[in-house]
Amino acid sequence: MRFADRAAPALLITLTLFVFVLLYGPLMVPIVSSFFTVSHGAVDWSQPTTSAYVALTQNDSVLSALWTTLIVGAGAVVLSVALGTGLALYYASPHAKGRNFLQFIIFLPFLMPPIITGLALLIFFRQVEFERSLLTIIIGHTVFVLALVYRTILTRLQSLSGSLVEASYDLGASSWQTFRLILLPNLSSAMVGAAILAFALSFDETMITLLVTGTQSTLPVRLWAMMRLGFTPDINALVALVLLFTTVLCLVAVRYLMPASAISGSDDN
Amino acid sequence: MSERAAPAGPSALAPWLATIAAYVVPLGFVLAPMALFLVYSFFSVDHGSIVFSPTIANYVRFFTDPVFLPIFWRTCLLCFTVALLCVLFAFPVAYFLTTLRGRSRYMLLVLLLVPLLMSYVIKIYAVRSILGGNGMLNRALLATGLIDKPSMLFVFNLNAVLLTLTVLLIPFAVLPIFLSLERIPKALRHASADLGATNAQTFWRVTVPLSLPGTLSAMSFVFVLAIGDFLTPQMVGGQSGFTFGRIIYSQFGTAFNWPFGAALSVILAAVVILAIRLGGRLESKHGGAK
Repeated sequence: MRFADRAAPALLITLTLFVFVLLYGPLMVPIVSSFFTVSHGAVDWSQPTTSAYVALTQNDSVLSALWTTLIVGAGAVVLSVALGTGLALYYASPHAKGRNFLQFIIFLPFLMPPIITGLALLIFFRQVEFERSLLTIIIGHTVFVLALVYRTILTRLQSLSGSLVEASYDLGASSWQTFRLILLPNLSSAMVGAAILAFALSFDETMITLLVTGTQSTLPVRLWAMMRLGFTPDINALVALVLLFTTVLCLVAVRYLMPASAISGSDDN
Repeated sequence: MSERAAPAGPSALAPWLATIAAYVVPLGFVLAPMALFLVYSFFSVDHGSIVFSPTIANYVRFFTDPVFLPIFWRTCLLCFTVALLCVLFAFPVAYFLTTLRGRSRYMLLVLLLVPLLMSYVIKIYAVRSILGGNGMLNRALLATGLIDKPSMLFVFNLNAVLLTLTVLLIPFAVLPIFLSLERIPKALRHASADLGATNAQTFWRVTVPLSLPGTLSAMSFVFVLAIGDFLTPQMVGGQSGFTFGRIIYSQFGTAFNWPFGAALSVILAAVVILAIRLGGRLESKHGGAK
């Protein structure tokens, strides 16, 4: 047993390191390769170059996909934060009807595989003769990220003391004043954190987008189409940039949410 | 937005308006599409157009056709294996996290969270570049002399799907396990040691059983994510790596049979609900015991 007690921590560290290599190692391949040229399927390691990055700035299909992604992300963030805040306040209000049923519906697109959410929306849009467009992507993303935004804001709302709101009413504030002056300032950091998370999720969303998009491609959809053709420096450069961007986004979101709600928020699943 | 945002005001009408406003989007854009989807699974297709009269033919086809049921079971088995592997990798990591304190624990947790938000297609692409016939793994194996020609065991087949999904989904398994490990009161472990148990005994007879709910919910979580995926099999599965998700997706593309695709998705949804309930039920059962 003595030996086991001493060997166990070493084994733990080794396994943890191995998992980190599994998680991050593969990502290094495209990042490093993006600085070299590829010819005949093999990377030419002789001289590093940033030509792939320069080429990206002239790639119209990538730039327009980036633009689409940003519009979709902004739309989904605005809609989901507004809706999520409203729904969280409704859930917490004493007049709410069918709370748990409503919450169940909100969670559905997050619990169900994206292929189901995407297909359901696809059939729905077709049935109500709603042309597939940028708007359908925004709706798809909003429905998808709403659960997370709602949950994050509700968690913060429930951690606030009820006496804050009562005091505000006692001092004669209207419900609008209470919302604007008491609740909103207390919820704002959760809202910002949720907005960043929502944007990050929307930025990467591929499965629902593939199903509900018309002719537009978002960046992941564009990447998906490019990747099926092979392993090239321009894909690698784009991959490196996207990874950099999402990592920064994630670290910023963590700063807003980490200590209290991020951990308990992910507990629901 | 404002009447919904404000907590119910003094007017008698306000709560009703708020209720209507709160339900519009969830009912209109989540429940209605899902319900329509269920209805579609009872339609059929004739010469490329959808016939809107109810039939159970799609479900009959799924259960009788020699193609779909085997792929369905194979996919379930594949995703179960992925879930098992993910938990095997995630458990030591989660356990290691609980042994850390303060800043290093926080940093490691963040490092585990970052890949969660990284683009899914990029991760698949990155793993594919490792697994390919000419990929890093094969070259490393060749260089070490373990094999003398590139191995095709994990090149564009179901094994590649298995390995890719496992690498992609490990972080999702770490969190639930970490949370359940963290919730185990330290006093229990101290008590076990006081009663003369060795560290190994305490680990196997106190820690592991008490972390079971988190481990099981991690498994169901990974299973659900794996079974709904159609991008990974499409990208690394090649010709032989057909999975249930991929078949559903093809019904909406090349095969163009939306009602049949809807029926297959309803079956997928049923499996997902079952997996979630199984994970959750065991969690509440074991959770209640402690």
